[in-house]
Amino acid sequence: MIGRIKTQTVEASQFLVDWMEHRTGIVTMLEHFLYEPVPKRGAWLYTLGSAVLFTITLQFLTGILLLFYYAPTTDDAWNSVEYIMTDAYFGQLIRGIHYWSANFLMAFIGLHMGQVFFSGGYKSPRELNWIVGVILLLLVVGLSFTGYLLRWDQDGFWASVVGMKIGSYSPFVGGYVIHFLLGGDVVGPATLSRFFAIHVWLLPAMIAPLIGAHLFLLRRHGVFGSEFEYTDRIAKLHERQRLEEYARYEADEDEGEPYVGRRDRADREGYERDGE
Amino acid sequence: MAELQKDPITRSDFLGFGVMGAIVGAILTIPPAAFVLSPVIKTDLLGESDVGSGWVEVASVSEVSAEEPSHFKVEFPLEQVYGERAIQKKYPGSQKSDMKYKLDNAIWLSWKAPIKQQGRQGSTGDIVGKPERPAFLDQKSEGFTESERKEIMSRLNVLSNSCAHLGCPVRWFPHEQLFLCPCHGGMYDINGGWVGGPPPRGMYRYTEAEVRENGKLYVRHKYDIEPGLDKQQPYVV
Amino acid sequence: MYAPATGKAKPVEEEVITEENVFERPDETIGFFPGQVLKDGYVSTFILLACVVLSYAAPAPLTEPANTATVEYVPRPEWFFFFYEQMLMFFPGYALISFGAVVVPTIFIGLLFAVPWLDRSPQHYNAVSRPFASVIGILVVVVVVLNMLLAVSRIMNFPTA
Repeated sequence: MIGRIKTQTVEASQFLVDWMEHRTGIVTMLEHFLYEPVPKRGAWLYTLGSAVLFTITLQFLTGILLLFYYAPTTDDAWNSVEYIMTDAYFGQLIRGIHYWSANFLMAFIGLHMGQVFFSGGYKSPRELNWIVGVILLLLVVGLSFTGYLLRWDQDGFWASVVGMKIGSYSPFVGGYVIHFLLGGDVVGPATLSRFFAIHVWLLPAMIAPLIGAHLFLLRRHGVFGSEFEYTDRIAKLHERQRLEEYARYEADEDEGEPYVGRRDRADREGYERDGE
Repeated sequence: MAELQKDPITRSDFLGFGVMGAIVGAILTIPPAAFVLSPVIKTDLLGESDVGSGWVEVASVSEVSAEEPSHFKVEFPLEQVYGERAIQKKYPGSQKSDMKYKLDNAIWLSWKAPIKQQGRQGSTGDIVGKPERPAFLDQKSEGFTESERKEIMSRLNVLSNSCAHLGCPVRWFPHEQLFLCPCHGGMYDINGGWVGGPPPRGMYRYTEAEVRENGKLYVRHKYDIEPGLDKQQPYVV
Repeated sequence: MYAPATGKAKPVEEEVITEENVFERPDETIGFFPGQVLKDGYVSTFILLACVVLSYAAPAPLTEPANTATVEYVPRPEWFFFFYEQMLMFFPGYALISFGAVVVPTIFIGLLFAVPWLDRSPQHYNAVSRPFASVIGILVVVVVVLNMLLAVSRIMNFPTA
């Protein structure tokens, strides 16, 4: 009896999987995503990037939740945040996750960037992914700047005043920049509306497709990792080059040492040192 | 997958794409840009302001301390976005239309201290003496004559508390006898003149201020901004 | 036809490694699932738990409502803007403020975009074998950290009276 139920269940689920696969190709796609080979040795180091992805996902989730109570007007903004913190169930947790994961996000972006920079992960053919990453960094900085004003407390307010006044010192366009941010010629309700629109819709709408592009480019070229992922292959390359050099040297013995470009030789010498 | 089919683009196809692109592109770019940039257009090109241009009461000048600057709150009427008068005119009976928006500014008032030695912006501040309060203020706090009002205005510093550097609220430190900005260390003397730190100039002064017969000071939302640098206004609120 | 990846790299002996293909595939690989996903999951779970603990241990701050007419409040940026805020102190006067606050950061961001083209050493991937880029990178980090420390000490030492 149990055996039969088991067989039937397996058959049914197999049917469902096949049905979905035939119509969407999702099984093949998932296999592509899940079983791609990635570098092994530095796996813990490469969790920095996924930590950024995770924290930004937390931002989206908790941000949507906070919007259920937040009111973007100068009269109500502070009160609504206070309501979230004191009265709403788990409001302190939801806002706490939004706040703390934003802080972690900035920290992990710095670490992730450092890791990519110092391992040389931005080199050909991955230049565009670096560029998308820098744009993402700027967008996140913009999000943290605009988000700070929304709670309409002293901290956020004055930090935003300073930030906007910095904008007014932009050469040639200073006035336009600050009037754009202020939504007028002084800080007021229009400023809050603007920052709200930028924080909640404009920048997230820009950041989401760019995250997609970042991941797509990552998968397209594979995870580079770091040079230590390639130690054996580099050693083999050097070994082969050395043997070839010897062979050429022996063949050309009568004609003397063949000309090798300075840069070329330096590179090889560098490699030999590395390989040892 | 089916093989790709690359049909040639005819002249009329090209024209169609062009016309379509122009219409859709124009509708989806120009109005949204003007929509988002309307504050820029209104303030920078049309020279409008969100702050009402009327006179606003500050305080009685006799309340200004003889030795030190005193700060007062001024409330300018603000007509930004949903404070528009048009809405209030349209439905005067509705409760919403009564909502008023204020622009609160802190204002520092002090009696001018004579400058003993002129300083130079960027190197040294002025060397100033003791603040000079008009003597007749001890006798009366209102009902000033024309000449007395003139004297008060010539002796009074009417300063915005917005730091000329990046707009932080400056405060008076009695021990140092200086206005200090808490953000980046801007320093000003009792007249609001530059003493030290990164600010490019002294504190912003209200250019339109007057004492009336009731002994009270009235100001309008206008500052002494150097021509050509009118973008770097004291953007406190 | 799709053949699922086996999670193992092809035997390396088969191919001739040249300078072009040396970085095509790492020596050792793991399947993204479960190896990498599991590690990512551990890190993510740790972050989430840290957020939960912190949101009760150190609740997200909400100071008093914005008061535009204050003369007592001391404005402070968030910690990740400390280095930038500190940098502003070194640029006084109209010309230098816009230089230090806007022009320098813009140039820096421009350079950040150009990094892949500024450092074009194609084979020397690791930090040790391209000392110039690494030294610049370390200098940037040091400057940022020192500026942050300066900002922290300035904030702690600001007179309260």
